[in-house]
Amino acid sequence: MAGILAGIRIVSLSTGIAGPNAARMLANYGAEVFKVESRAGGLDAFRSYGDTPESSPRFVEVNLNTRSITLNLKRPEGVALLKELVAVADVVMDNFRPGVMERLGLGPDELLAIKPDLIVVRMPGLGSTGPLSGYGTWGPTLTAYSGLTYLWNHPGQPRPVGSQGVYPDYLTGVMVPVVVTAALLQRRRTKKGTVIDVAQVDLAAYMLGTIFLDALVNGRDAQPRGNDSPHMAPHGCYRCSGTDRYCVIAVEDDEQWHALCGVVGPTIADDARFATFVGRQHHRTELNAAIASWTESRDAVEVMEVLQRAGVPAGVVQSGADLAADEHLEARGFLETVSHPILGEITMAGLPIHFSLGGAESYKSPPPLGSDNEYLITGLLGHDADELAKFQEQEIVY
Amino acid sequence: MLDGFSCLDLTDRQGQFTGRILADLGMRVIKVEPPGGDPVRHLGPFKDDTVGPETSLPFAFMNGGKESITLDVATDDGRRMLLDLVEHVDVVLESFPPGHMEGLGLGPAELQARRPGLIVSSLSPFGQDGPHSSYLATDMVAVAMGGLMFISGDPALTPVRPPETQAFYYGSVFAAYGVLLALFQRGDDGPGQAIDVSMQESIATQEHMIREAAFDGVEITRNGSQHKLTAPANIFPCTDGHVYLFILSARDWDRLLDVWPDHPAELDAPELKPPANRRAHIGLINPHVEEFTSRFSKGELTTLLQTHGIPCLPVNSPADFLHQDQVKARDFFGELESPALGRYQAPRFPALFDGARPAPAGPPPACGQDNDALYGQWLGLGPADLELLSARGVV
Repeated sequence: MAGILAGIRIVSLSTGIAGPNAARMLANYGAEVFKVESRAGGLDAFRSYGDTPESSPRFVEVNLNTRSITLNLKRPEGVALLKELVAVADVVMDNFRPGVMERLGLGPDELLAIKPDLIVVRMPGLGSTGPLSGYGTWGPTLTAYSGLTYLWNHPGQPRPVGSQGVYPDYLTGVMVPVVVTAALLQRRRTKKGTVIDVAQVDLAAYMLGTIFLDALVNGRDAQPRGNDSPHMAPHGCYRCSGTDRYCVIAVEDDEQWHALCGVVGPTIADDARFATFVGRQHHRTELNAAIASWTESRDAVEVMEVLQRAGVPAGVVQSGADLAADEHLEARGFLETVSHPILGEITMAGLPIHFSLGGAESYKSPPPLGSDNEYLITGLLGHDADELAKFQEQEIVY
Repeated sequence: MLDGFSCLDLTDRQGQFTGRILADLGMRVIKVEPPGGDPVRHLGPFKDDTVGPETSLPFAFMNGGKESITLDVATDDGRRMLLDLVEHVDVVLESFPPGHMEGLGLGPAELQARRPGLIVSSLSPFGQDGPHSSYLATDMVAVAMGGLMFISGDPALTPVRPPETQAFYYGSVFAAYGVLLALFQRGDDGPGQAIDVSMQESIATQEHMIREAAFDGVEITRNGSQHKLTAPANIFPCTDGHVYLFILSARDWDRLLDVWPDHPAELDAPELKPPANRRAHIGLINPHVEEFTSRFSKGELTTLLQTHGIPCLPVNSPADFLHQDQVKARDFFGELESPALGRYQAPRFPALFDGARPAPAGPPPACGQDNDALYGQWLGLGPADLELLSARGVV
């Protein structure tokens, strides 16, 4: 079956992770995505993470299945060609700071004047409106602003800690496809375009909905809870044998507690402090220490397997190498290999949505910079080869 | 946006956020609760810490804007009624352990036999098949198995999970995307799809951990919020809290040195221009930057640096976030009202459409509040029928 979004044409003016990832997540399902770059100071920043602009593995992964065109938007003729592309497109998305598209004459009003049923998506960090909309942001600054970083810590630490991850970028990579697809469904009915303004920071805050409700309804200022849970005990992360090896264990009810006692033995089973849920919550420090003294001499995978067999939720804190060697992920076909002309075979994460009738395209490396210029200018836009040569010579298609 | 589409939501705690997203986008989402109500109704925190089925805040967040009916789908009558209901909807959402729905005779094949074109979304920690599909998981287990926990926290301490239930939520976002793609593909009369979304896989799409380990031979570990590619890019102290300061380009590095006239001369070294070199010298750079940031409040420093085009934002607590002018100006929180919760502010959908935040889909439903209307309209059942079914524990 062809990709679900086959026939949908998207113009992507984006750099880094959030915008490209959102575009490629649409391309993975068949949308024709034109990634617009330019040698005149408009290359995707991720191209710098390779020996050459064509050999950055990071760039390849976040731009899978896209087409590559080069238009010099510092030249009015370049902007004019982009407008010709917009006239035959369904979606235009950018992840510039607010105002950049307007300065190019490509603000939402201008774009909708070209194509009234266009879906225009913008995704600045703090949104396109509001007093701080012009602020410069990167993923980790938005995690910090949203409250996530503050809470992503063990309790009682002297300073915020957080994660190496840039969660807002990856949220944008899926939530933008969600709203684009919803807008495409709406357009079938209304025949009208939509301007969508996604503030990446709002995406992060949406993922803390219960904590914000507790603040708004009860006036409570949530504090870091680490790996403790108000609903479960034990609930923690335990050191295992080897360097930086851990297994998490979570006990949801008495049945699982008895199963855990059966595996770990008398150090927890016979301790009266741990006999009830309330006791286990109250003495969780001692309980965690007792469990850790059982796990620390054991292999993390063995701990997980023996506990899962007994009926206790447990999982290895998997590293990238663990994920790449995860037999379960392999069996599900989640580990993908992509062929690249310079880099060779690249193993990477697949797509977590499995459709019974299919609907995704196979992974394809993005083509070399500007490879689709001819297809766009002479094929799609109907200029002749001489004009294309002139655009190239004048560094308009560049 | 999704006016005209409707959905039966059978999910437990793991998958309820999917229906919330779809309801925020305008889909009619009908919760099917077991008699006695969804167990999430018993999860705290509660409004005013008053325990009760209508005051749970996790329930209110994940079920805002949904309708509610009760039905015991494990009974023969309940199963038949669910199949009747399915004829009226476009989507069924479920997050039972893999195989559970099939065991009840309610697998995708049975459902689609009654409603061709039905989309059935199944969200689970490890997916519907594979050697770990029957593994038990909480949110923390799925976050750990997906890799995110390995790179989170202080290297001197154990790995730490993110707040709330991010594996449930992030998997639910993918499930929502799957549902919308399948609706787009189906159109008016195309085939439906069965969708299998794994939380572990959803989390494992983040951060390129698989490719970096398998291809680049690089393994990132936990290192607080220190960015892996550049410096200064970390949490820095101020007089009244902390900021996240992020410098990537040589241009932004120069700007930082400009607004910091008394910076140590060694920071002017040309080899510190490229971000990777600054990252390699964090031991030199970060202590100096800390000394600089410690002179200011987080508000003063943010304003100073942003005025010069340098990305920097305060590390907000959730209460700080609520009071930001930027957040207020964009109406991220809006008012709702329900009998149990009264008038209250709640988070809204994280996007503006044509300049406006979509109206909140509504407060959470009371358990079974739509039984009479929905069973009457869709199944033609009257009050007497419902009374009989209720007496038998079906409704």
